[in-house]
Amino acid sequence: MPKPELSASDKPSELKTVDVQPVESKLPLVVDFRNVTKTFEEGTPKAFTAIKDVTFAVEDLPGIGEFIGILGPSGCGKSTVLRLIAGLAPHYPATSGTVLVHGKPVVKPGPDRGFVFQDYANFPHRTVLRNVAFGLECAGVPEKERVERAKEWIGKVGLDPKRDAGKYPHQLSGGMQQRVAIARTLIMHPRIILMDEPFGALDPTTRHRMQDLLVSLWRELEATVFFITHDVPEAVYLGDRVFIFSASPGTIAHQLVVAPPDRPAAEMQSDPVFLESVQEVRGMLGRLEEKAVEGKGD
Amino acid sequence: MTSSPEAPPVKDGKNADEPSRLAVPQWLRRVATIRRQPGKLARILYGVSGLGLVLLLWWFLTRGQGDARIVDAYTLPSPGDTIRSFHSLWFDRQLSVSALTSLARVLGGFTVAAAVGVPLGVIAGSYPFFHAMIKPLTIFGRNVPIAALIPLTLIWFGLGEVQKVMFIFLASVAFVLFDAINSVHAVSDRYLDTAYTLGVHGSAKRGATQASLVGLIYGLVIAVGWFWMREDSTRTFIMELMSVGFWGRVALGFLCGWVLWFPITGHQMLGKVIFPLALPDIVNSLRLIFGLAFGYIMLAEVINARHGLGSIIIISQRQGPREHIYLCLIIISLLAWGIDRGILYLQRHLFPYLKHAET
Repeated sequence: MPKPELSASDKPSELKTVDVQPVESKLPLVVDFRNVTKTFEEGTPKAFTAIKDVTFAVEDLPGIGEFIGILGPSGCGKSTVLRLIAGLAPHYPATSGTVLVHGKPVVKPGPDRGFVFQDYANFPHRTVLRNVAFGLECAGVPEKERVERAKEWIGKVGLDPKRDAGKYPHQLSGGMQQRVAIARTLIMHPRIILMDEPFGALDPTTRHRMQDLLVSLWRELEATVFFITHDVPEAVYLGDRVFIFSASPGTIAHQLVVAPPDRPAAEMQSDPVFLESVQEVRGMLGRLEEKAVEGKGD
Repeated sequence: MTSSPEAPPVKDGKNADEPSRLAVPQWLRRVATIRRQPGKLARILYGVSGLGLVLLLWWFLTRGQGDARIVDAYTLPSPGDTIRSFHSLWFDRQLSVSALTSLARVLGGFTVAAAVGVPLGVIAGSYPFFHAMIKPLTIFGRNVPIAALIPLTLIWFGLGEVQKVMFIFLASVAFVLFDAINSVHAVSDRYLDTAYTLGVHGSAKRGATQASLVGLIYGLVIAVGWFWMREDSTRTFIMELMSVGFWGRVALGFLCGWVLWFPITGHQMLGKVIFPLALPDIVNSLRLIFGLAFGYIMLAEVINARHGLGSIIIISQRQGPREHIYLCLIIISLLAWGIDRGILYLQRHLFPYLKHAET
């Protein structure tokens, strides 16, 4: 796991606000959103626009994947963006605009775009082993091979392949359940990992440990990660870039470039420089929320 | 919080300032506390005493002889006489044969209802267009008075065993279907989303093989069941095996089973996610419906039957001894309760990952 060298003068979490328009790039794009709008129940009085004119691009950097943290007030359509990439109804398909993944329009959900939810969604009738092996089972991988690979992944996410493999999800704590869900997603080697507040229900200590785990797994997989969170330090710590959404209808208000995670979560997140940039992002979010409240008052 | 007598808790309401005047004994206060659970032994004792009170009342109403009794022997036999009549019920009237006959009839009809209702319900719960198609039918099926089906089944299926089984089937299939649909609807979308992103897809080839296996079981059960129900003592099973009709029924059952299960086995989402996740709920509702069906069979047997607990009751009412009616009622309740507990026990072992609520 290569760690970037840091000199003393480096400000690890220096923020740069980037132009919201996609930059012309010679690299192929992993995800390309062009003026994407999603309106539910269009044409009825109940019509609700979740996201409006969302445009962004994520390049396919050779050898590494980009980690994108997504912040924004509740109900601003962050999940809609993820579900459009995944191809999950009812958010998919978009009302207008184009969503391209690896240059092609999204047609349906698939294991190349893994999804981790906040409430784990482990299948209660399957043991840890069979939960982790679920995707391989669907793909028709022979029993022996999938058990082997599932055990390997159970170990990779920090569970005990011997002791925990035969347990049912309800016998595990929240943190352990989320480890199972992560293993179950990553065993499919997705090129894109979509995470919708995966650590939202965990206590701070578990959360830091899960962040460290995620960073190490992500570096190994070289996948592009989209990570929704309400926790500003989490987004600033994990992200290479942070998208800040405005309140509904959601649009990308800011794109920030932040320093990658170069130290364990607990250590880096107590660094004063880091806390300064967290404060700055909180300010941006606060102003967006104020604007949303004023907008409703009109 | 202090609990000194000078500072009584405010929640005692208006009596808070004069608690000593009432002097309620400690045990009465314990018993009269809302929602306070007594210990296990105490619960059993309370249960026994409740039963004892009813028995005491029964004994009191029927003690003595002739006119000295409060209720005459014709209307209500004494508890002693009732228990003594068990000997004749068991030996002269072959209680065990009747109990088994009743059970077999319920089991037959109920199995057919589950075999049709569960797969249909899983399909309807998964595909809304199909749900919309059969919704009017389930409304009709669940609201038609069950007793009104008896004359119709007599016309359609005659006086034999087929009528009993079909009556139970018709009486319970709509409930099975409705509950299965609800169980599927209760499966959270989150599991479906997760499964989609892990790559579940339709698998027609594998599904067709699995559905054929289920179809074969359906065919054999239907053909063998038919042979049993016809009660034709001149026909041996070997003769039956050689007949065209037997294999025709196997083929028919195979076709039904295949059509009912292919939509489930043919798509991983139904076969690996929706059906197994809904199954504990479905089994639980089947257990409750089985209890209902056990009640319905009495209805059919009271109207017309050769054996069965219901027929013992109706014959005892007409020809006596009356004691058998009471005994049968007790035995039916105990049997139904025992079956319910048995299925509940099975449920706990089939689905170890669930914590079942006591029902």
